[in-house]
Amino acid sequence: MSPEAIFFYLFAVMAVAFSLVTVLKRNPAVGAFSLVLVFFSFAGIYAILGAHLVAALQVVVYAGAIMVLLIFVIMLLNADSPSLDMDRTHWTLRALSLAGCATLFAFFVWAFQNGSLFPQPGQFPPQRVAELGGSTKLISYLMFTEYLYPFEVTSALILAGIVGSVTLAKRQKVKRGKA
Amino acid sequence: MEPITLTPPPAFGLTAQQLAWLTPYFFVLGGSCLALLLSVYEATKPSISVPATIILAFLGGIATTLPLIEQPPTLLFGGMLIADGFTAYANILFLISAAAVTFFSRRYLLNQDLEHTEFYTLIALSALGMMIMAASTDLVMIFLGLELMSISVYVLVGFRRNDRRSNEAGIKYYILGSAASAVMLYGAALFFGATGTTNVQVGAIRAIQMGMGQNALLIAGLLCILIGFLFKIASVPFHMWMPDVYEGAPAPVTGFMTTGLKAAVFITLLRVFSSMVSVPALSPQAMEAFQNVLWVSAALTMFLGNVAALQQTNIKRMLAYSSIAHSGYLLVGLLAGPQSHDGFSAVLFYVVIYTIMNLGAFAVVSAIAQKGDTGLELNDLSGLSAKHPGLAFLLAVFLFSMAGIPPTAGFTAKYYLFYSAIQAGQVWLVVLAVLCSAIGAYYYLRVIVQLYMREAIAGSPLQNWKPSRAAVTTALAAVILVLQLGIYPAPALKMLRLGPAEAPAGGAPAEAPGH
Repeated sequence: MSPEAIFFYLFAVMAVAFSLVTVLKRNPAVGAFSLVLVFFSFAGIYAILGAHLVAALQVVVYAGAIMVLLIFVIMLLNADSPSLDMDRTHWTLRALSLAGCATLFAFFVWAFQNGSLFPQPGQFPPQRVAELGGSTKLISYLMFTEYLYPFEVTSALILAGIVGSVTLAKRQKVKRGKA
Repeated sequence: MEPITLTPPPAFGLTAQQLAWLTPYFFVLGGSCLALLLSVYEATKPSISVPATIILAFLGGIATTLPLIEQPPTLLFGGMLIADGFTAYANILFLISAAAVTFFSRRYLLNQDLEHTEFYTLIALSALGMMIMAASTDLVMIFLGLELMSISVYVLVGFRRNDRRSNEAGIKYYILGSAASAVMLYGAALFFGATGTTNVQVGAIRAIQMGMGQNALLIAGLLCILIGFLFKIASVPFHMWMPDVYEGAPAPVTGFMTTGLKAAVFITLLRVFSSMVSVPALSPQAMEAFQNVLWVSAALTMFLGNVAALQQTNIKRMLAYSSIAHSGYLLVGLLAGPQSHDGFSAVLFYVVIYTIMNLGAFAVVSAIAQKGDTGLELNDLSGLSAKHPGLAFLLAVFLFSMAGIPPTAGFTAKYYLFYSAIQAGQVWLVVLAVLCSAIGAYYYLRVIVQLYMREAIAGSPLQNWKPSRAAVTTALAAVILVLQLGIYPAPALKMLRLGPAEAPAGGAPAEAPGH
């Protein structure tokens, strides 16, 4: 096994295991820290693929900034005890969801065993990226040329997110005329 | 080392014609930004200026789109935005839906103590998402448009923040919708892995050229994408979220979701579907498997939607189930499209009619709704015709139209839809659809019985209350369209005959394979 493959399996197993911990553990702080490790594993996989900028951004933005915010929220809401009664789920429902997951898993195993990847290499293999001055330079260039439209639409998307979260979170308007 | 020499930046080389195609988008985005700025001044005392700005932006968008219908199709941003007549029609449909909802919701919001100017901004951003999504076959843009549309609507659904049902609806829709988006994104990744492109049309052409009609990765990717779409139009078995969400959302938002949002998702699905079918990208066996999936989903959707609607006593919830049932009819038309003579024009006509009649019905429902969206039980509507004969008549026409009774447009639309399905040889599906429509007639007519043949209950909130003028105007316009298109549908049908986009860069035309 090549070193890339060894590291890939290492990070992949870590990502799956810690995302299971995130979902299954009731303590939200444990969940948040497992999520950090999931993000780190993703960053590792991106680095193996040669996407170094994406790997760095993954660590800085997700594992750093977003997780800090998430932990702040957990602390502010004092959400260390579950507010929902999670044992109420009926066993048939659990069995059905397990069966659904198993079917889905079998389907994807089938898809990956019988499917074939697109044979031609992409527009930017690692060597070409290095020739053009590295992935950071290339991504910056492409973002403002070929992918300008999605980039701008993303800004509208973020605007919608900001407006939406402010709408849901802002202080209730005090009705005039009432004390 | 030489500096980067890639293709020259295409975005900066837009021709005047391409810029003209972008104008409606600028209108809507600019309108929503301007409305946000105006909201700062209006923060303490909301006035008419914000909704007026948004409506003007929508009207500007419609006015700049109209001359583009006859323009030759072009591609913008390397095929990420397809500008053709189909795009123009779709944009006009979304903008009309959004403008009508903005128009009749102001009075509703005031009545419900919900008047926040953000409502209108979110409607505009959602409409922008629809326009972006329906004008593309690039999975990146479809996903971004879908998210822009959905995120705005998630918030609008939970807009009544002090109401538990609205909160529950918002959270439910958000979580399930995100899961569906994730499935769709995974499908897009698999599609990219199999074809090396995110553009569905290019991918379809590559698939046929390289003979990967049986590629399991491609099939799995397309299936995931299809599931994402089916979730958003709430077809069985992905419909569980819809009744709760429709009931919990404020009435105009429900109206927006059944019209603009559903039309947008369906039109995008139509684009993706037709570009996979027109170049038969998949092998016949795989194609048949997909058709079977759609067949089963359509049959179940029609049946379950109609049967569940029978038991509802709340008109909003009843319209939610009826909306599920209509998704089923739309899927019948989608299945039939490639093999019928007029292609997808029957199903497009159905989308337009469905949008108009639902807008009208929800305008009336918003006008009737009392504080906290109460007063929408069927019993509350009894005797409405005695007190408000005009309003009762408007609602009755929309219900007749949804049931598919002539001379309303609902009948004409159903007729053309089922006719095209017969042409395509889907006889059993049509038999089922007609039976389901017959079931549907029962619960639509039950409301009409309440309106016209029951005495008003004493102390009904509808006794001394005046319907909003904006809602009545909207409903009146919708009624005129419903009757006009029901009696004389030929011009509209002729307009819609063009069907969705051609293949990119003058490739294979989007002709359906003859059978």
